[in-house]
Amino acid sequence: MLKTRIIPILTFNGFALVKTKQFDNPRMVGNPVQSARVYNSRAVDELMFIDIFATKQNRKINLKIVKDVIKECFMPVGIGGGVNTLDDINDLLHVGADKVIIKQVAFSNPNFITAAANFFGSQCICISIDVKKKNNEYFILNENGVNFKMIDFIKIVQDLGVGEIILNNVDCDGVMNGFDINLYNIASLIASVPIVYVGGGGNLDHYEELFTKTNCNAVGSASIFHFTQYTPSDIKNRLYKIGKPVRI
Amino acid sequence: MKVAIIDYGMGNVASVDKAVSYLGYESIITNNPNEINSSNYIILPGVGAFAQGMDNLTKLGLVDLLTNEVIVNKKPFLGICLGMQLIATKGHELKLTNGLGWVEGEVIKINEPDKSIPHLGWNEITVTNDSFIKDFNQKDFYFIHSYHFNVTNREDIAATVNYGNSYVAAIQKENIFASQFHPEKSQLSGLSLIKSFLNFYA
Repeated sequence: MLKTRIIPILTFNGFALVKTKQFDNPRMVGNPVQSARVYNSRAVDELMFIDIFATKQNRKINLKIVKDVIKECFMPVGIGGGVNTLDDINDLLHVGADKVIIKQVAFSNPNFITAAANFFGSQCICISIDVKKKNNEYFILNENGVNFKMIDFIKIVQDLGVGEIILNNVDCDGVMNGFDINLYNIASLIASVPIVYVGGGGNLDHYEELFTKTNCNAVGSASIFHFTQYTPSDIKNRLYKIGKPVRI
Repeated sequence: MKVAIIDYGMGNVASVDKAVSYLGYESIITNNPNEINSSNYIILPGVGAFAQGMDNLTKLGLVDLLTNEVIVNKKPFLGICLGMQLIATKGHELKLTNGLGWVEGEVIKINEPDKSIPHLGWNEITVTNDSFIKDFNQKDFYFIHSYHFNVTNREDIAATVNYGNSYVAAIQKENIFASQFHPEKSQLSGLSLIKSFLNFYA
């Protein structure tokens, strides 16, 4: 049986790991290579490492640091930050990335998704989708002023060929008040590719609630690992207790 | 004992190299015929589409070379993910393409209407033969694939994985061992499996 994935997310500003709250107020939380080493020693299911300022600052993620992070990892690693050409993807796969996470390019050049999926295979093309609730409906947050409804956007990117969706509720980011259950259930009805759900986990009850009230199979988290005593294993032990398949 | 990791422009050679080096074996990432011929083991990794993979092997002149080393000279071979699929008779990804043809069967799309595709994540394998892999029965490995290898002869199957239906997770036929999952990404179980492969065929 496929196991539930608990995925630590390392967000990077080009120099250090940072953690935001509702996509604002980045707070320094450490060194990416050291963190990767710790997560590897804890045998986590997977790791994501994303330069969240790369696109905004019009640069690429630092390949040397990516290489050093991946060197620590004997588990799958997804890398994101400023990816908008096939060469970018090739560079990341070449240093050992298993998946590449795209975001902004999906708005500026949607056909890039298809080109990338055809060349490298859908399985390594992940899209990060940031969602904001407006008048009781979910919309996509982006800087191109495109007002996509979430459900429309998920259909579009699936048809274009993405292999996985990282779904993030901006209002829940870093707040540690629990997951938006409703959002997940709406998205999972239309998603045919796996979803990694992100945003809101602050204690073990939050994860129990998410996995009880949805068919969620993968969750990405950061704050709970930076700011509490809980580790990915603690979450998995709790999920095991409620009968979810986990790798312990 | 030298391990040749075949570089044919299809993904993750760096991770396989890292795993083999971690286990203390000398390894080389290569598509050079002399280096492949002088190695003791061949590992064919790979991520991506079947047709592209065969195309790349053909362009590099590796199809006959690898077939000669593995089928005629019986050099120990480990195929991973796409590297497992390419040893099939045929692949159906994007277009019908002939594979290396070392193990009879075809590579077809996973058909699970109620499940998300790709089959992505950690899943436990059920070992179906009595070789070194039996120590890994019910261990979790990392899978990521949308196509699966429908193996013709049951005796070539070493392990299966359940994702709605049962799919081939590993193949073993004489000096050939191949896994649909990624041992190089499967933490201690994966490293230990690669080590067992290298020891078994030493």
